[in-house]
This record gives sequence, structure tokens and C-alpha cells, in this order.
Amino acid sequence: MGAAPQQASPDQRVADFRKIFSRAESEVARVIVGHREVVRKTLTALFCGGHVLIEGVPGLGKTLMVKAASEALGLSFKRIQFTPDLMPSDIIGTQVLTESDGHREFQFKPGPIFAHMVLGDEINRATPKTQSAVLEAMEEHQVTVFGTTYVLDPPYIVLATQNPIELEGTYPLPEAQMDRFIFKVVMGSPRPDELREILNRTTGTAQTRIQPLFEPSRAPRAIEDLKALVREVMVAEPLERYIISVIGGCTPGGPGAIPEVSQYLRFGPSPRGAQALILCAKVNALLAGRVSVSYDDIDDAIVPCLRHRLLLNFQAEAESVSSESILEQVIKRLKKPRT
Amino acid sequence: MDNPVETIGIASARIARLAAIGVMLCAVAPALTAIALGVLLEPIGDATWGRLGYALAPGRGAALSLALIGAGIAALAAGLVVAYREYRRAGNFVAAAAELDERLGCDQEIVTLATLADPSAPESSRGRRTPLFPILWRRAIALFSGLDVRREFRLEVGKPLRRSSIFAGAVALAMVLATLGLVRAPTPENTEGAKLRAIAEEIARTSTSPDDSALAAKIREAANALENSKLPPEEKKARIEEAMRQADKAAQKRNNSQSGKNQGTGKSNAQNGNGKSQGQGNSAGSGSGEGKSATGSGQNMGGKSSGSGKGANGNNSGRNESGKGSAKDDKNNQRKGDQANLELHDELAKAEALVETANAKNPGADNQPGDDKNQGGANKPGDKPDQKGGSQPDANRPGSIPKPGANGERNIPAAGGNPKNNKDMGSNLGDTHLGEMPTSRNAQRFLKPGEKGATLGIKDARYVMFRLPGAASSGNSGKTVLDTDRPTATTGYVNAPLAPTSDDAPPDERQLVPPRYRDMIR
Repeated sequence: MGAAPQQASPDQRVADFRKIFSRAESEVARVIVGHREVVRKTLTALFCGGHVLIEGVPGLGKTLMVKAASEALGLSFKRIQFTPDLMPSDIIGTQVLTESDGHREFQFKPGPIFAHMVLGDEINRATPKTQSAVLEAMEEHQVTVFGTTYVLDPPYIVLATQNPIELEGTYPLPEAQMDRFIFKVVMGSPRPDELREILNRTTGTAQTRIQPLFEPSRAPRAIEDLKALVREVMVAEPLERYIISVIGGCTPGGPGAIPEVSQYLRFGPSPRGAQALILCAKVNALLAGRVSVSYDDIDDAIVPCLRHRLLLNFQAEAESVSSESILEQVIKRLKKPRT
Repeated sequence: MDNPVETIGIASARIARLAAIGVMLCAVAPALTAIALGVLLEPIGDATWGRLGYALAPGRGAALSLALIGAGIAALAAGLVVAYREYRRAGNFVAAAAELDERLGCDQEIVTLATLADPSAPESSRGRRTPLFPILWRRAIALFSGLDVRREFRLEVGKPLRRSSIFAGAVALAMVLATLGLVRAPTPENTEGAKLRAIAEEIARTSTSPDDSALAAKIREAANALENSKLPPEEKKARIEEAMRQADKAAQKRNNSQSGKNQGTGKSNAQNGNGKSQGQGNSAGSGSGEGKSATGSGQNMGGKSSGSGKGANGNNSGRNESGKGSAKDDKNNQRKGDQANLELHDELAKAEALVETANAKNPGADNQPGDDKNQGGANKPGDKPDQKGGSQPDANRPGSIPKPGANGERNIPAAGGNPKNNKDMGSNLGDTHLGEMPTSRNAQRFLKPGEKGATLGIKDARYVMFRLPGAASSGNSGKTVLDTDRPTATTGYVNAPLAPTSDDAPPDERQLVPPRYRDMIR
């Protein structure tokens, strides 16, 4: 991608966005078989400036996927394996005593959170204290150690994984932290043909190398420009009202809430959910070659953006009602405003 | 067109117009239907329920007609209001853009453009534009390049008319239900009153002199009096006779004025009571006849009737169904005015006969208690055994116990009369199809011993009514005293004989006897 995006024409910028996104997907697909939707959502979250919660059993290639994406985009990558004895300083970093020119001084040693793409593996195994240490970094894109604030270099994205099994000895993420993830994507098991392809690629001698789209020095700037382009996508007032009605429809007792919502939910999505919906819909519009959001773009974003923001009640769990099924009902029943 | 905002504006105006027209089309058909039904209620009634012998009461018919016309006008007004509101609503700039989006298959691009370029809020919409707005603008121009707003938004008449026809059908159905609820079988008085009113209208319409107008007013008064059940019969008769006199007066004047041109002028003179008709003609002579009026008071009671029917004047004796009076026709006098006069006389005579019939059937109905000496007392059997016409007491009247020997053929319809008059048009003659209680018409009566009357068949009788003599009442002192006021029968009553048994059969054949008793009988 040659020309500096800010100097290019709007049409060129839109075209570049689609091209970069498509090539990033292709590069990741060279090492990750299947999971195209997960890859797409991960890249979408990156361009939206959000974080992703990935849920799936071990061995599906979560770490490999994130690593491949960072390599393709030329971004730095760090991985944190969350364990019960992991301390916040292990993530954020700490002051270490150093000696230079005869002087001893404390020097900040950044933790693994200082990277463009951070993979928090099995985040629910860490204690709430450690989990909350990630909160500030995720939301504010900065950390504070001994009164000194350190800004995290943009772009910054945290991809946390959760294992849906082996829940013993885990600390489920609090709702406040769940809300900070723009998406929750579920990685399913590969299909037989995909599994065969995985075996071919990983057990042979062939080495797959990813071609970075940007040089590491230019990558952050290029990604930030693309993020700015996403925010320039326009949304009509009726569509904004639709998003508001979706949020209201998913909130128990909210305006336009369907009966299932009132029956099975304790809490609905927060305004962050609406922000996530709009940003994701904007990326979808750009990927479709449009500079304005459509209803389909919004509908496509509803489930990944809101599924982890709905707090099911006991009745829903007893009846095995999922948040996805409730969201699908909401999409089906809500009327799309014309004006 | 290079400016997509203008295109959206044109589409918005057209959509608004079409929406308003659609709404008006929806409202027009039911409104016009209601108005048309209201205006044409009378002819419709004549063609439908009128043919079946039913009628709407004049007041109710007028009210229904007014209600229908009012509803039609209200529907038109409501349609106008809704159409205006629809015009305002559909004229929304963003809504028109959404409509264009759907027509052109865009993904809300036009509506986004409309939001960001809304002429009604230029400042706020301009503030929301981004550097990508030119792409959207160019995209809209490309989309509108082949668009013809007039062709894209056509006036579709089918759908609103289909919807409208449903509403119109509902209005018609409501009218039918309303008339079903309001329509009644007219009494003879109503029928006659309607005829008189029609004649009055005709006279008023063609009136050339104050006399004609006065005559029309008199006829209307007579018609109203005839239908007014609260008026005593004398008053009714007085009104009718007044109308008759007025008619005679008008006819005489007309004939006198035209006597020079005509060879002769018939003077019609209908006389009340004896059924005689007399006609005098200057040129054709005079004629007299004796008629049996079909509207005679004995008509409804079956049998021959005579007496109170009126014959029409002589020169139209052939037209008068109720009279047999003969008169020489004076052909020179058969003008339209005279025919109308004859018709009027005929109808007035019928009306008077109706009054007399009603009076004769119910003598107590003249609001003069005490006149009827039979009131409260039982009729004495054999009092008027041969009375078959004229004033017959109401057998269902309190205290009126049917007497044997009289009115044997009471239930037999009159053979020689006008069949129309035999119909029970919702009167008190006992037909229950309109929910009325049965009266004496359907009652059977007892026969005197040895009397041979018509075979009694109670198989089809709906009700059997008995009147028991009153019990002896005790006075204040506790003594049993005879109730002298109670109705008493002077002749012994027996039940109608059972079917005769065959006496020639052996006793054991007459009635089955259990075998163990047969020896005892032998």
C-alpha cells in the first residue's frame, strides 16, 4: 500500500481499506484453516479499536491466529498466559533498580501488555485482581505504575481467550470486563475437510511464511489511518434509531423489549453495545464498498457485538435459552424505521 | 438531473400526492355509497322490501336516509382530513428517500444522503457530513441517472379501490342490517296513508291553484290522522271526510271551469255508508249502482260484507274495485285531473272504511269507556248468531267468552274479498311470525251439545286458551258472598265430541282387556 492514506482521495482510501482487509484475511488464512468469521471479526475489532473475547476449546489455533494477524499487519505481538498466581505487575511491568554512571535508579520495565496485539490466553484463570489490571489498559490504552502513566502505542488490541470447559478453579470475567470487549467470537471445531488441511499443513515439511502488509515502522500509522476512515463512514438517522431500538429491545423493561427479553434476561446491553454496533456496521459497510451503513450491516453485527452483554437469568439457564437465540428474535421482530 | 436532493424532493412531492389520492380513493367509494343509499332509500325500498309487503315507518325511513347521507358526508370529511395528514406524512424528505432506496435496491444510501442533505435542516445535516460525503453524492447521482420519478411512482388505483370497495360493502351491509331492524309489515292504515300521501304529493306538485294546495294539505292531514292510533275514530273520519269535501270542491271548480270545452262534466259524489254510488253527467246521463266494498268492515271477518263500503262516482265505476255501481261513462270527462280525483276518492273511501273496520272490531278503542256495554261481561250465546260482518266484538276482549253458534267460519278467510286485506300485516290479528301473541283468531271454541260445526282440529293449534269463571269472593265480614260481577254462562258448555266409536264392534274389540279379565266381562 503505497500512498499515504490521508493524502489519497476518499475513493482511494476506501479501496485501500478493502484491499488491506482482504489481504490480511488471506495472509491469516495461509496459516489458519477455516475460522474465516473469527479472523474477520478479529480484524474488524482491530479497525474499530476494540478488543475481542475468543471462546473455544484448547488446540483450535487461537494463539496462532492472533500471531498470524499481527505478522500480516506488521504489528508487535505479546502473549500472556493467565494463571491463578499471575500478578498484575507480571502483566503491566514493574520498576527495577538499575545502575548507570554510578547512580542507582528505578527504571520501568514494561510488561507484556506493551504490544500492539496482546493475547491473554485463558483470561478467566487469573484472579480478579489481575484481570482488573488489564481493564485500564484495555479501556484507556495506558497503564499507571507507581504514579507514572505509560501510554500504550496505538493500535492496541487485546484478544482474550476463554476455555468453556474446565471451569473449576477459574474466575469468570465480571460483567464490567466483559462489556469492554467489542466482540465475543466462538471458535468451533474444524470441519473434516478443514481438519485434513490442518494436518497436511502442520505435519509436513512445508513451511508457510506470512507476507507482512506493512513494514513494522509504518504499520501503526497505516492502521490508525484505516481506523480513522472507519469512523468517517456515515450513518443515517433512521439507522441510528434502529440501533437504539435494538438496544432498547434487548433491555428488560426497556422500550420495545420483546417478551423473551423480559422473561430470560437480567440485564441488557450498555451504551457500549450501541457503540460497538455502529463501529462494526461501519466496517461492514466499507467492506461492502459503501460509505454509508445499511440495515444489513447492523443486523450482521448484532449477535457478535451483543451476545456477551446480555446477562441471562436463572430461568434462561434452566431452559437452556441462549443469548444468541434471544438476539435473533429481537432482529426478527424489530421494525426498521423509515424516517 | 445532477442534483440528487432535487430528485428526492420531486419524489417526495409525488409520493405525498399519490398517498393523498390513495386515501381519498379509499374514502370516496364508501362515502358515495352511503350518500347514494341515503338518497335512493325510498326507490330501493319500493323495489325490495316494499314488494314483499314490508315498509319503513316514514319517520324511521327519513331518519335512516338522513343517517346514511350524514355518514357519507362524514366519511368524505374524514377522508379529506386523513388524506391531508397522509400528504404531510408522506411528504417527508427522508421517508421519500427511503422509498427511493427500496425502489432502486440501494442499501440505505439515498436515505443517508437525505439525512445529510435535508433542505429542512441544512445546518445540522451539513455538520454531520464527513470527507466521504462526495462519494455518496456521486453514488446517488449515478443511481438517479435513469430514474423517471413519474414513471417510478405511478398512481395505482386498484389497491385503494379494492380496499374502498370493502368499506363500501360494509356501508351497504350496515344499511341492510339497519333496514332489517327497522322494516315492519305495514298496517292497512300505513298502506293507505302512504297512498294518500303519494296522491297529495302529486297534487301539490301539479297544483295550479290554491285549492289544489289546500286539498293536498287536507289529504296529508287525513293520512296522518289515519295512521295516528291515538286519535279517536270519529276524529279520523272527520278528517277524511273533510278531505273528501275538499276534493269534491276542487273537482267541481275544475269541471265548471272546463264545462265550455267539454261535452259534459261528471259530478262525482261518493256517499258514505250504503255502498251506493251516484254519478251525474250533463251529457251522458246519470248512473247508480250498488257496490260491495272490498274494504267493507266485514271483510276481515270473513263471509259477505256489506254496508260501509263506498262506491266511487259513477263515471269510473269500472275502475272501482270495491263497487259494482254502474254509471254511464262520459268519455269526454276522462281527463287526467278527473282520474286523479277518482283515485283520490277511492283511496279516501278506503281509508274511511278502514277506520270503520277498526272501530267495529274494537269498539272500546274510541277512547270512550262506557260506550261498550259488553265490556267486562260475557257475551250471551245466541245474541247475534248471524252477525258475520260489520261490528263484531273482539272475541279476545276481556270478558268476551266465545259463544257457540256464532261466527262458525271466523277462521275461514273471506272468499270474496281482496286477498290483500286478508293478510295479517303485522296487525293484532294473531300471526306470531313477528313475535306477536296469538289472539282469538287462532283460537278454537266449544260447540253446543248437538251442534254441528266445522270439525275441530287442535292438532295445529299453537295455543289453547281457557277462561275460567271467577271464584266467589268473600266480603269484609268474612261471609261468603256471591260474586255477581263474575261472568256467568247461561248455556252449558261441553267439549267437542271425540271421534265416534264404532258400536257394532264387540266390547272386547272396543278396548283391549287383559286376558285374565275377559272371562269376567263375558
